[in-house]
Amino acid sequence: MTTTPAPQSGAETGVLARVSDVRCVYGGGEQDFTAVDGVSFELNEGEILGLAGESGCGKTTLGNALAMIAVPPLYVLSGRLGIDGREIDLATLNAADVKAHRPYRGTTVSMLPQGAMNAISPTLRIRSLVLDVMRAHDKNVAKDEALDLARDRLKMLEMPVRVLDSYAHQLSGGMKQRVITVISTLLNPRLLIADEPTSALDVSSQRMLVEMLLAMVEQRIMSGVVFVTHDLPVLSQISDKLAIMNRGAIVEMGPTAQLVEDPQHPYTEKLLGSVLDPTAETRRKGKEWLTGGSGLVRSATETAASGTSPSDTPKGATS
Amino acid sequence: MKLGRYIATKTVWYAVALIAAVGLNFLLPRLVPGNPVDVIVSNLARGGSVTSEQQKQIYDSFVAEFGLDQPLWQQFFTYVGKVFSGDLGTSFAYYPASVNGLIGDALPWSIAVQLPAILIGWVLGNLVGAIAAFRGGNWDRSVFTSSLFLSSMPYYCLSILLLYGLAVVAGVFPVGGAYSLGSTPELSVSFLLDALDYYWLPFLSLVIVFIGGQAVGMRSMAIYELGGDYVNYARAMGIGDNKITTYIFRNAMLPQITGLALSIGTLVGGALITELVFSYPGVGTLLFNAIAANDYPVIQAITLIITVAVLLANFCVEIVYGIVDPRIRAAKSGEK
Repeated sequence: MTTTPAPQSGAETGVLARVSDVRCVYGGGEQDFTAVDGVSFELNEGEILGLAGESGCGKTTLGNALAMIAVPPLYVLSGRLGIDGREIDLATLNAADVKAHRPYRGTTVSMLPQGAMNAISPTLRIRSLVLDVMRAHDKNVAKDEALDLARDRLKMLEMPVRVLDSYAHQLSGGMKQRVITVISTLLNPRLLIADEPTSALDVSSQRMLVEMLLAMVEQRIMSGVVFVTHDLPVLSQISDKLAIMNRGAIVEMGPTAQLVEDPQHPYTEKLLGSVLDPTAETRRKGKEWLTGGSGLVRSATETAASGTSPSDTPKGATS
Repeated sequence: MKLGRYIATKTVWYAVALIAAVGLNFLLPRLVPGNPVDVIVSNLARGGSVTSEQQKQIYDSFVAEFGLDQPLWQQFFTYVGKVFSGDLGTSFAYYPASVNGLIGDALPWSIAVQLPAILIGWVLGNLVGAIAAFRGGNWDRSVFTSSLFLSSMPYYCLSILLLYGLAVVAGVFPVGGAYSLGSTPELSVSFLLDALDYYWLPFLSLVIVFIGGQAVGMRSMAIYELGGDYVNYARAMGIGDNKITTYIFRNAMLPQITGLALSIGTLVGGALITELVFSYPGVGTLLFNAIAANDYPVIQAITLIITVAVLLANFCVEIVYGIVDPRIRAAKSGEK
């Protein structure tokens, strides 16, 4: 059995999802690399949880595990997701009964992927993908009914309906990302895992996408979002709670404003300190740092020795 | 309409390529030093069975037929006129047999043995390759190894092995030819059954190698596509494996369609080695004999047919590409 009823994770408690002890490795042999190391957290109804950390800290892997996607060499060793009155055993993702999770994908938990630019097959029209997603969960849904839902959603988000007749290559990067967002939320998922949805977008497209997600949460199209990104300024604006990940573990978690203003963990402090601040003072300091005071660009050795990367924090201090 | 503009652009380019190919096909034999008619007539004279009067008659008829006494540009238009009216000339080696007749006799044999081999090999090879990629593990390893082995095996090698094993040692099939000695090609059940006995060995030697080649290609493409972001996203949205397989298959098919069309295009040239090993009376055998006998009209006609068939096949590939892949259609029709 991969799922069991778990009424304690219901809406009556205000908790949307309970994630417990997620462990993921890459490799599956003796040379395993642990990417997620016993992550647990709770997400309330209507909340946006920002999941931040530097590249390689395990954010995307955790997102994939929560979206029930585990393609070798990624193996989920343990983990449970309590959502919608169910307890989903994530450790069975790599097992033969992988199809057991299919009904919950896109409906209970949906994914807004990191590679949204290539998330649509190049030989498929958007409307075909919409139909396939709808029919994957309801074989009898009429074509018009499915497309009408997509049209309504596009109109609601002030997007042109004609995109349904387009292929992926005919859309701009920002438009493609918003179309994928519409498709990912078409089935009104309880939880949306948004994996770096803004990282490849220009600032105006980022803003449009973020506003779109906020509007969707407000209108209860989805009940909660785990927003995975390394873009702390974006997270600080949209998330209710912030979780900082380092080396596969959550090192600090709390309300966004509190965590940004008063970080408790040294890694969080360093990560927040790494955010570029385009003031005149910062630019002056940056120039000094780059030239090392002698007009020469600093060498890679010097840069590494300066310990400015958050990843220099020893593991013992972060877990 | 985008597709219409795409097809129109392609048609123009292929028409230009056809004109260039016809021009080269006309010019190349005429660039060879010496007059081919002189060679043929002197060969006849060397045999001693032809009188000088007959030699002159043959020489004059050849010169008149090919218009060799006319200027080159006039010869070209005569040649083009004949080609487009379907007259491929007269054979030197089988004089006075027409080239049309010789090719007409040989072509059905080549098509009969190759077309089913190519189509069946293509379908089976792609299926086997796709299944190997999807299933992975031992299935994939064994399919990949055996397909690589088969596709790397030269046609003549497999032909000779099959000939030795199934015809010489086991005696299951006849050793060579396309039908029993004494029978005449005709559309009757008894003749077709007789020809079927001779058909299996050349067919098997072609289809086995073809399955291997297609399986290797399809497996690589499918494995590449399996790692695509769109596959993971479709899975994350709960789309079933069967539907995802159709996405992958469609994207992985493009290079395979090229392979199919080019194989069909070149089949009119005959499976030279296979036909020679099994003494099969196809276009390959006809071309081989024509080269040995300096039979320029036959060589020229077969080369022309191959050229036209390959151009036609490529044209079909381009059209199918345009239909299957909207990016190609957009790029080639100038759409932004």
